[in-house]
Amino acid sequence: MSEVRLQVKNLCKSFGVTKAVQNVSFNINKGEVHALIGENGSGKSTLTNMLTGIYSIDSGTFILDGKEIHPKNQVEANDEGVSIIVQELGTLSGLTVAENIFLGHENRFVKHGIKNTNAMNREADALLKKYGFDRIKASHMIDEYNFEDRKLVEIVKATYFQPKIVVIDETTTALSQEGREELYKHMDRIRSEGNTIIFISHDLPEILDKSDTITVLRDGVYIDTIKSQDVDEDGLKKLMVGREVTGKYYRTDYGEPISDEVVLSVKDVSVPGLIENVSFDLHKGEILGFGGLSESGMHEIGKAVFGASFDRQGTVILADGTQINDIPTAIKHNLAYTSKDRDNESVVMNQSIGDNICLPSLNKLSSGPLKLLSDKKLREFADKYAKEISVKMVNTDQFVSELSGGNKQKVVLARWVGKDSDLIVLDSPTRGIDIKVKQDIYQLMDQMRKDGKSIIMISEELMELIGMCDRIIIMRDGRLSGELMRDPDMDENSLISKMV
Amino acid sequence: MANENTKTVSKEEELKKLSRMAMLRRILPIVGLVVVFVLFNVLTDGRMMSSMNLVLSQVYVTMISAMGVFFIMTMGGLDFSQGSILGLASIVVCIVSKNNIPLAIAAGILTGAAIGAINGFFYVNRKIKSFIVTICTMFLFRGIIKYLTTDAPVGGSALLINYDTTALKLACTVVILAIGFVAFRYTKFGIHLKAIGAGEKAAKFAGIRTDRMKFMMYVLAGAITGFAAFINVIKVGSVTASGGNQLETQILIALVLGGMPISGGAKVRFENIIVGSLLYIVLNSGLTMMGVSTQMLQLVEGVVFLVFVAVFADRKSLQVIK
Repeated sequence: MSEVRLQVKNLCKSFGVTKAVQNVSFNINKGEVHALIGENGSGKSTLTNMLTGIYSIDSGTFILDGKEIHPKNQVEANDEGVSIIVQELGTLSGLTVAENIFLGHENRFVKHGIKNTNAMNREADALLKKYGFDRIKASHMIDEYNFEDRKLVEIVKATYFQPKIVVIDETTTALSQEGREELYKHMDRIRSEGNTIIFISHDLPEILDKSDTITVLRDGVYIDTIKSQDVDEDGLKKLMVGREVTGKYYRTDYGEPISDEVVLSVKDVSVPGLIENVSFDLHKGEILGFGGLSESGMHEIGKAVFGASFDRQGTVILADGTQINDIPTAIKHNLAYTSKDRDNESVVMNQSIGDNICLPSLNKLSSGPLKLLSDKKLREFADKYAKEISVKMVNTDQFVSELSGGNKQKVVLARWVGKDSDLIVLDSPTRGIDIKVKQDIYQLMDQMRKDGKSIIMISEELMELIGMCDRIIIMRDGRLSGELMRDPDMDENSLISKMV
Repeated sequence: MANENTKTVSKEEELKKLSRMAMLRRILPIVGLVVVFVLFNVLTDGRMMSSMNLVLSQVYVTMISAMGVFFIMTMGGLDFSQGSILGLASIVVCIVSKNNIPLAIAAGILTGAAIGAINGFFYVNRKIKSFIVTICTMFLFRGIIKYLTTDAPVGGSALLINYDTTALKLACTVVILAIGFVAFRYTKFGIHLKAIGAGEKAAKFAGIRTDRMKFMMYVLAGAITGFAAFINVIKVGSVTASGGNQLETQILIALVLGGMPISGGAKVRFENIIVGSLLYIVLNSGLTMMGVSTQMLQLVEGVVFLVFVAVFADRKSLQVIK
C-alpha cells in the first residue's frame, strides 16, 4: 500500500510579506493516516486550507491521483474528492442537520427547481444511522445540538461521499474522550477503505498512536517525512522546534503538603442546566485541577467562581469574607480568569496588545484626583509584562488579532500577572497551543504556585492535569464525582473511570 | 539565523506599510479639509473666508452633538434619534426660557438625557439593536415635536437673543470638547469604550461593566445634545416641526468624513469629531455658496459619504456593529 495519492509540489503561499508556506514538496500515500505537525504558525493549516480551496495557491501544485487540482472553494474540493473537518465550528447555525450535511450538494435532491426535503432528510438519517449517531435527527436544527454533536455531524459531512482525502485539522482538542473515540473509529474505517487522512494535531502521543507517516513543517518550510514507528515523542519535538527540547515539561515535585489556609470557598453553587450543588475549597499555593468530559459542567465552574455565570445560586467567598457575585468584584479582589473561548472571552481582538494588558489595571495606573492616565506609563506597564511573559510581537501597539493562539494566551496571562492576581482560574490554558508555549505556561504556573498564588486549572487534557495539579476534582453530569491527590503513579485511566 | 533576521525585517516592513496606511487614513481628512476649504475660497472669490462667522455658526451644534454620538459609535452602537432629541429639547428650552434661562439649559439637558435613557433601556435591557431602537425613537419624538408645533412654532424668551454671540457659542463648544477629549484620551473611560467596541464579551470578562456603560453612553449623548439645544435655540429663536431635522445624518456624515470607522473600536480618534464636523460644514456651505440646489446638495453629500465609508470601513470588525 504505498501508491502515491497526493503529490505536493513546490507549494508557496504568502500573506503580505509573511511567507506562510515556502516551496514545500512531499508525497502522501493511499490508505494511510498522514500526520502534519509543527508549531503554531508553521504552515500546517495554510497548506491544508489551500488543498481544500479555502485559500488560493500562490505557486506550486497539488497532484491528486496523477491529476492537477485547483479547487476554488470547499464544494469544488469535495467534487475532486477532498474534504476537511476544521478546528473550530464548521457547521452553519440556522440550518437543519441534513442541510448542513449536504451543503453545496443540494442539487442531488432538486427536481424541476424544487428541493425534495423529505428525500434529503431520509438520506441524512440513513447516513447518521450508518455512522451510529442515531440520536442526531436529520430534520432538527443544528443549533439544538452541542459542540460535540455538531462535530459528529461534521464527520458525516466530510466523509459520507467516500472522499479520497479527508483533512482533520486539530479537531481532537475540541472533543471529549468519547468524541475522540468516535473520530478514531471513522479514521480507521476510512484508512481501511484505501483512502487517505491528513491528520493535524498538537497532541504528540496521539499522533504517534494514530498515524502511519508524519511530515514535519517548521516556519513554513518542509523539514522531513518519517514513519511513525521509527520515531518517539522527543524525536518529534526536536524536529519541530529545531533543537533539543530541554528542561522539564510538567512539575517534577511530589509529596509537598498542601497549605491549610483556605483562600476561596465555593459553597452549594448551582447554575441551572450546567452544574449542581458544587462545593469545594481552594488552598493557598495550590494548583487545583478540574477534569471531566467537556459537557460535565467543569467549564462552568470557572465562570461561576469568577462571577460570570448567568443565574448562579450558592456562594463563592474569599478568605476575608468577600462574596464574589460579579466580574468587577472578582477582579477588584485579585481574582483572574482565562476562558476556553479565547478569542471572544479572553482577548479583546481588535485592540492593541498594550490596551489588552492594561485593561483591568487602569485604576492602579491612573494618578491624580482626575485619575488621569499617561501614555508613557501605560506603555511601560504593558512592555514590562509582555516581556516578562515573553509575548512574541513587534511591539505592544500591534493588534491582538494578528497574534497566534499561543501568543494571545500569553497576552491574557500578562494581563493577569500585571494585575497581580492571587487566585487564577485557567480554563483550557493550553488548548491549541504548541509545545514551546505550553512549556512556558506550565513554568509560569509553577512559578505562581511557588509565589503563593492559587490556581484552578480546568482542562480536557488529562496528562496536563496529572502533571501539574496538587489535587484533581473530576466532574460528571454537573456534579463532583471524585477527587484525587497528586501522585507519581496516577495514570489517565484512574481519572477516566470517574469521568464516565 | 539568517532566516530569523529576514523574518524580523519583513515583519518590520509589513508594520511600516500598515502604519503608512494608518497614517494615510489619519491625514486624509485633514488634507481633505484644507483642500476643500482652499478650493471653495478660490471658487467663490474668497466669499467663504469673509463670511467665516456665518459658516462657523452652523458647526457648533453639530460638533457638540457629534461628541456624544462619537462615544456611542466607539462602542459599536449607532444613534439615529439625535435630530429628534435636539428638536424636543429645543422646544423645552424655549418654553422654560420664558421663566428662567439657566433653568432652561438644565431642562434641555434633562430632556435629552431622558430620551437617551429610553434608547438605552430598550437597547441594553430589552436587547434590541441600537439602530432599530433609535430609528423608532426618532419617529416617536418627531411625532411629538410635530404635535407640539401644530398651531405655531414654539418661540423662546426674547432675552435669548442676548446670548447669541460667537464668543459664547465658541467657548461652550471648546469647553465641552476639551472635557470630552481629556476624558476620552487620558482616563480609563476612553479605553473602556474602545474595548467594548473592539470585543464586548472580552471587555466584560476584563471587568468592564459593559451594560451599565452602554446605557450611560446613550444618556450622556442625549444630555450633550440636550445642551446643544440651548445653542440651537439662541441661534434660531423658535422651533418648528422640522427643528433638528436630519441632525443624525449630519453627525454620521461628519464623523465618517473625519475618518471614523463606522464600526467603532480601537481605531477611532477624538479629532475625527472636530475635523469631520468642520469638513462637513465647509463642504455644505461651500456648495450652497456655489449656488448648488438643496436636492443637488444631498446627492453630492451622499456620494462623498459613500466614498468615505468605503475608504474607512474596518472590514475586519464590521460584524461587531450592534
